[in-house]
Amino acid sequence: MKDVLSYLRGLNERYSMFRCVADDTETSGTEFLFSAEDGLTSKDMEARCGSRILEGYRPVFDAASIEKMRFAGGKLAGKTNMDEFRFGSFCTNSPYGVPKNPFDPERSCGGSAGGSACAAAVIDDHISLGVSCGGSICCPASFCGVYGFVPTYGRVSRHGVIDSAGSVDRVGLISRNPERLSEFFPIISGEDLRDPTSCAQPDNLPQGVRIKSVAVPEEAYAGLSGDVLSAFDSSLEALRGMGIEVDAVKMPSLRYSMPALYMLTAAEASTFLASFVGMRYGQQDGDLTLKFDDYFTSFRTEYFGDEAKRRILLGTYARMAVQRDRYYLRALRARDIVISSYKKVFAEHDAVLTPTMPFAPPRFDEISRMTPAESYDAGRFIVPPDLAGMPCLSVPCGYNDKGMPIGMNMVTDHWAEDPLLTFAKEWDSAFGVRRPEVSL
Amino acid sequence: MLKGVARSAHLALGEDELDRYCTDLNGILEGFSIIDDIPGEGAYSLNSVEVADVLRDDVAGIFIDPYELLKDMRTYENYVRGPRLL
Repeated sequence: MKDVLSYLRGLNERYSMFRCVADDTETSGTEFLFSAEDGLTSKDMEARCGSRILEGYRPVFDAASIEKMRFAGGKLAGKTNMDEFRFGSFCTNSPYGVPKNPFDPERSCGGSAGGSACAAAVIDDHISLGVSCGGSICCPASFCGVYGFVPTYGRVSRHGVIDSAGSVDRVGLISRNPERLSEFFPIISGEDLRDPTSCAQPDNLPQGVRIKSVAVPEEAYAGLSGDVLSAFDSSLEALRGMGIEVDAVKMPSLRYSMPALYMLTAAEASTFLASFVGMRYGQQDGDLTLKFDDYFTSFRTEYFGDEAKRRILLGTYARMAVQRDRYYLRALRARDIVISSYKKVFAEHDAVLTPTMPFAPPRFDEISRMTPAESYDAGRFIVPPDLAGMPCLSVPCGYNDKGMPIGMNMVTDHWAEDPLLTFAKEWDSAFGVRRPEVSL
Repeated sequence: MLKGVARSAHLALGEDELDRYCTDLNGILEGFSIIDDIPGEGAYSLNSVEVADVLRDDVAGIFIDPYELLKDMRTYENYVRGPRLL
């Protein structure tokens, strides 16, 4: 075990995927190693959720998903780097190291769970836990050329998730091996009285149900880069070759997803993060002679990062009495409209398919020139399933002329995870997933 | 306007920062203006799936040892320390 953890530390020096690697070399009862996004609590490591404001926070309980992985014989090998409170599309809003893409270290791993996807790509047969809050699992899975799977909202307990948006956050899995998704999904899912949103789920029995038809929204072709368009079209041909019917549909309501998700998550974040004020958790070294408003303000101003402040401002604005009806309540109605739109398609098709991201992994210098609005827009295909709480799966579907991975994203109806996992295994047999060259 | 929002959010921002965030938020809100097409009235759900009410038996108990919780907190005689109220 000592050798393995030393190897992971070596990998981390090259790729910066871990915020920390386990110190404990105890191996008794360990059957497999796993990693987890740093926004999940664990008793043996700090949980910082990618934020300086939580530096020093050592939880006294394991997140339900980590607890279950340990019970199944897993050892938490490390906590992975992420965008601060999941605010980001490229995992560049991380004060503890920006993970480097395993296929080209000058490029992004995607966000927010970039460290988890990077770990899944470079460590053999690895499984990593992430939390999705607007494409946070599928985006990095696509950029790192691995499988990213997000179950239905409420399927996996959120107990121990450091929430930034409780009505959206979902725990999911990332691996290069789709068999691992099928193996660990039943382990982490299930009712948990500590999270009421997990207590209305139907049974989760693997039945090997195949996807027989997919619907491709016409809107999915808007603004695609040439390499993504080419890889996506080739993948549709491959699906037809696998006997899967592919039909074009119109889903104009999806255009409401971006503003709705960002308004909901920013509004929720502005309240969820209100508890981080320099007391009880993380940083607490402030001047206690200050008045309480000044004390709280001093911590939040110093320790929240740029994007966290932007989202808090956006969310606070959206919740103000004069704006609440215009933004927050409309966003809630938009979510219902997007769900209805999906359900209508699912009456005739098994899944909705789009590219995962509109472009291949960008270089860090390209990301630095993006405006916040451009950065948000990069997630336009992966935001709708998170808004709708529907299960989704990103699979590698091609490589561009620079060898960078491209992914496609499949969405099924609420609670219909089984067909996605069956498809992942089928696709893995048909498509040649490339491994990045990993060297220390 | 943004100054008041920042104050509500407990963030102290300088003039330069206010200008920058103001530009950013204007760009974001402009891009999100399509949300105005959504009806301003009518029913809405708070969650994407049905959420069950979970009621536990009302039994007193300690779920997490309070001394464990206090270990990483700034305390004085086992009370959490905070800034002055007045």
